[in-house]
Amino acid sequence: MVKSRPCTARENASLFMFKRVSFFVALAGIGLAANLVRKQDVVLPPVAPLAEPASAPYRDSIGARGIVEGVEENVRIAPAGAGLVASVKVKVGDEVSAGDVLFEQDTRDAEAQIAVQEATVLAIQTSIVEADVALADKQDQWDRVVQLRENRVVSVDEKQRTQFALRAAASRVESRKSDLAAARAQAARAKVQRELLSVRAPRHGTVLQVNIRAGEYAVPSAAEVSLLLGRTDSFQLRADVDEDNAPRVKPGCSGVAFIKGSRQNSIPLRFVRIEPYILPKRSLTGESGERVDTRVLQVIFQFDRGTVPVYAGQQMDVFLDAK
Amino acid sequence: MLRLALKMLFGDRAKYAMLVCGLSFCALLMSQQTSVFCGLLLWTTATVRNIRVPIWVADAKVEQVNEVVTMREVEVQRVRSVPGVDWAVPLFWSILQARLPDGTFQGVQLTGLDSASLVGRPAKMLEGRIEDLQLPNAVIVDQVAIEKFAKRGIRLHVGTVFEINDKEARVVGICETERSFLGQPYVFTTYSRALQYAPLQRKLLSFILVHPKKGTPVPELVHRISTLGGLRAFSSDQFAWDTLIWYVRNTGIPISFGTVVILGIVVGIAIAGQTFYLFVHENMRYLAALKAMGAGFSVLAKMVVLQAFTVGFIGYGLGVGLAALFGNAVLRKGQPPFYMPWQILAFTGVVIILICLFSALVGLIKIARTEAAMVFK
Repeated sequence: MVKSRPCTARENASLFMFKRVSFFVALAGIGLAANLVRKQDVVLPPVAPLAEPASAPYRDSIGARGIVEGVEENVRIAPAGAGLVASVKVKVGDEVSAGDVLFEQDTRDAEAQIAVQEATVLAIQTSIVEADVALADKQDQWDRVVQLRENRVVSVDEKQRTQFALRAAASRVESRKSDLAAARAQAARAKVQRELLSVRAPRHGTVLQVNIRAGEYAVPSAAEVSLLLGRTDSFQLRADVDEDNAPRVKPGCSGVAFIKGSRQNSIPLRFVRIEPYILPKRSLTGESGERVDTRVLQVIFQFDRGTVPVYAGQQMDVFLDAK
Repeated sequence: MLRLALKMLFGDRAKYAMLVCGLSFCALLMSQQTSVFCGLLLWTTATVRNIRVPIWVADAKVEQVNEVVTMREVEVQRVRSVPGVDWAVPLFWSILQARLPDGTFQGVQLTGLDSASLVGRPAKMLEGRIEDLQLPNAVIVDQVAIEKFAKRGIRLHVGTVFEINDKEARVVGICETERSFLGQPYVFTTYSRALQYAPLQRKLLSFILVHPKKGTPVPELVHRISTLGGLRAFSSDQFAWDTLIWYVRNTGIPISFGTVVILGIVVGIAIAGQTFYLFVHENMRYLAALKAMGAGFSVLAKMVVLQAFTVGFIGYGLGVGLAALFGNAVLRKGQPPFYMPWQILAFTGVVIILICLFSALVGLIKIARTEAAMVFK
């Protein structure tokens, strides 16, 4: 056996220790690293959504975004003419029937117009009496001239003049009478104008929005709705289908709607019709600078207001059966 | 005989320490640097890992999660119409600036989650409730935001109000997220509110998150959505990998880290090989004596290999142990990034084994050339 370097017993011991320490330190190091690897090797579990989003109930379905409206569309009530609002007769949620006054515009000017027209009628009536008297006078003169002419007391010239005077008086009476008819028509018109200042419900329904108050100026405008009238007992749903999916929509297809973002409370839909004209999508972000990015086919469905709370104007997730 | 080999090795403490130091330094450099590299790359996929859904849908030209090509909102309905889709919800993601009343500002990754379902919500809330996100002007910030503002002496807490694009945002909760490569903190809000914070653009939808129906395999659904036209679907894993690969291809990160790793290997080989050679050289007397006594080459070879692998094992253990210590320390702090998968340990091990084999080979060549007569010199 070859002698390795001579070493004392003490040196041997420390040699032994040194060997052991470094060996165990190395083992500990590997253990530490393995532990770190194990700790970091975790697959992050998915987080459950707060509420399960709406899911297509059909094997082959078309997704759409829908908006709830009253049956027969909502009526955007506007005044016939611009004018100051005197009083609003209804509040949101009121049931109204056809002919009920919704709001009234200021009538003072219209009343004054009626008074003016009626005064004119009165004035013309008086002037007709005046003309009648003048006519009677001319008639009397004429009768007398006719008698005198038989006795050849008056000249032909005088007789003719008297006759023309009579005819003029008669036609003046006629003219005043037609003036009266015109003035009466004017007065009637003024009354219609006055009547138009009361804005009435065109049909039975519920007041959905009131955007006008007494003292405000109401203008007939398509953009600003003074008052929104609709039916809330039965709703219809207008589903926007992207034009890419439009060919897949079958007339008469069934559909299911969910309140936006949730899969609870599914509402079965009954097909009503497909709007035949494809429209630019109306964006609901409310930005005036919004640009059209797609065109949509609108499909109308009807559904009953069940226990699910649904409001007109609400957005819904809609799935149409494409089978 | 093998015991003798170990005695020989441990006997020369200075050389032994030198050998172990060289190898452990090499192992440390390789495992630590590759871990930081992996951690950094993993950070690039933070959004995918924070929003844990099976399928992501983006514009057809999107290559990775940190670049967004906005889509039309109606695409959500198109994806919903694909057979096999259980649900599909929109996601808004964009980098915007948050501004405090005193003018301090911070870029944030504003993430808008589907308003009703909050799909993709943060997994862990540190403070507040996730449901409060449905309050007006509510946002939830992550721990990174707290850190970033704390650095400037501002304590962000539940109730703090800041502005995003001149619109009020009120902190209703603090959550924990995976850190992002981009460095900006995540701020969560609902999709509809995120659109109000976002500067007005024609299109604002960033991603669509999809969950397949039971029984529909993810790859099949990914294929179906990708063939719709104009859209590209990724499984969550695929999206993460695509993002990683994008960063590897398009940034200098792999080159800089690769250089350090290669240097580690070179230094390891140089130190270990050289020291081992010297070690064998100095012990040549004993080895020659053994040879003279009739020990065969294979016995001597076994001895040298054992010596090499003992040093290798101890050096490896110390190196990866130090790297793990570093990792534990930085993980507690949150940065710099550190991710050590088992492949790094295996890779480091293989390289150390190669270095050991190389060193042993150098020693063996020396022994093979030695004549027994050496012992008398």
